[in-house]
Amino acid sequence: MVHETLAATNAVVTLDVALPGIVWPWLVTVNMWAKSIGTGVIFMLFLLLKKYPDQAGKLRFQTIVVSIIFIHIFLLFTLADLHQPFRMWHIFFYPHLTSAITVGAWMATAFVGLLFLLAFLSSIKKDNAAFDKTLTWVTILAIPVTLYTAGLMSQCTARELWQMPTESAQMILAALLSGSATMILLGGSKLDYEAKKTLGAVLGLSAMMSFILYMSEYIFGPMKAEEVAAVLEYIKGDGPYTVMFWLGQWGAYILPMLLVILSRVSKSENILKLAALLALAGLWLVKHVWLIIPQLLPMS
Amino acid sequence: MQLGFLVDLHLCMGCKGCEIACKVENEVPLSTWRLRVKYVDVGSFPETRRTFTPLRCNHCENAPCERICPVSALHYLENGIVNIDKERCIGCAGCVMACPYGAIYIDPQTQTADKCTYCAHRVASSMMPACVVACPVQANIFGDLEDPASNISKYIQQNQGNIQVRKPEKGTNPHHYYVGGGNVTLNPLASHRDEGHQLFNKITTLPVGGHH
Repeated sequence: MVHETLAATNAVVTLDVALPGIVWPWLVTVNMWAKSIGTGVIFMLFLLLKKYPDQAGKLRFQTIVVSIIFIHIFLLFTLADLHQPFRMWHIFFYPHLTSAITVGAWMATAFVGLLFLLAFLSSIKKDNAAFDKTLTWVTILAIPVTLYTAGLMSQCTARELWQMPTESAQMILAALLSGSATMILLGGSKLDYEAKKTLGAVLGLSAMMSFILYMSEYIFGPMKAEEVAAVLEYIKGDGPYTVMFWLGQWGAYILPMLLVILSRVSKSENILKLAALLALAGLWLVKHVWLIIPQLLPMS
Repeated sequence: MQLGFLVDLHLCMGCKGCEIACKVENEVPLSTWRLRVKYVDVGSFPETRRTFTPLRCNHCENAPCERICPVSALHYLENGIVNIDKERCIGCAGCVMACPYGAIYIDPQTQTADKCTYCAHRVASSMMPACVVACPVQANIFGDLEDPASNISKYIQQNQGNIQVRKPEKGTNPHHYYVGGGNVTLNPLASHRDEGHQLFNKITTLPVGGHH
């Protein structure tokens, strides 16, 4: 942006094509948000079954149902975002394996199949041993399923803001944050305060680490790349997405961190539930802002 | 064979003949462009000048669009052209998001991705791309980069030290070169830009694929 700032040069684009609209709109935000929840609850169920097997045992079926619902929301919005949704089958019959989209679609399909298997094992066959054994593999698969979108974003060479490995870390933290938040809400009377405290710790720590990553990019990103500096202008000062960005940061990270501490001090489950709700709502805003702002930058 | 393009910006006078020829040849729908000429005004009155930069797909050696396409709708031809199979495209717009040059658009009629193919259908019939034929000053030079006797190779040899590509830091290795380019013409962040274009109308942003 050197020339623009030089009065002597004063370079102004006087004719070019109109800027393209948002290519990946809010549908993709819902995609990422729902996938975080769908995979995150699996991570949390695995954790709870290891730490609190008696209590978590009652949550096997409910957790799988929640995961199935959110994974299907993710798949539905992915489909809705395609300009040719009826050609979705091309991904399976003409796969291009260098694309994170292809790899992700294959993994997500396997993930859905395994979720239905878990639902079958818990509700019809009622075989907890087989369930827990299968869950281990599903939990391992949930890691790349939640990470592949980070791979996709980093394949977007045009969008300098989305860097690896930061996006990977953000994706896994988003899954831990939303998974723990959902399980706090889902736990009800089936989980005691100790189990919820553990979930609260996961929520608070993942919120803190995500917040640190965002602030690191916010402060230091512009020092490394001209494009990142230009993109972050949309969330600085009176930028068009400044308010949404900070609402997201407060909702998803800052307030939940504070509320988790407060809930531990006051031993209040209700405060923990409030933290969970805020984290889930705030995460959508955070994801949305980060998705949209690199798309506002002119490419030509 | 490795086909490539070179534009001599010293010669380009911004007539937009190439832009129109491309539109007609490829039946590019309204509100979309495979090739366009960007104007940047530089300086303060009375010391001003206008620069013209034809922009099209760079047919990168390491094309992000080809890599991200989940169904190989974007693929390399043997002559190095990055081509697109519109029948296979699912319209995920991954390529639009990946291309650092903004060269790919969603065709509002077919709802699939589309872009400059260096007129691959004409090249297959031993004809030059439509934009090359239309250029009145031969600012567009097209040919085989691997053939030292081709016009483009000779031009590159004659202008060594003054050959540029757009966004070399992206590592895409474009097969589209400019002579006489600079930061103002090739770097989108080097110029002030109000939304959209300003000279002839006030359209600010375009809907992607005609909806959303």
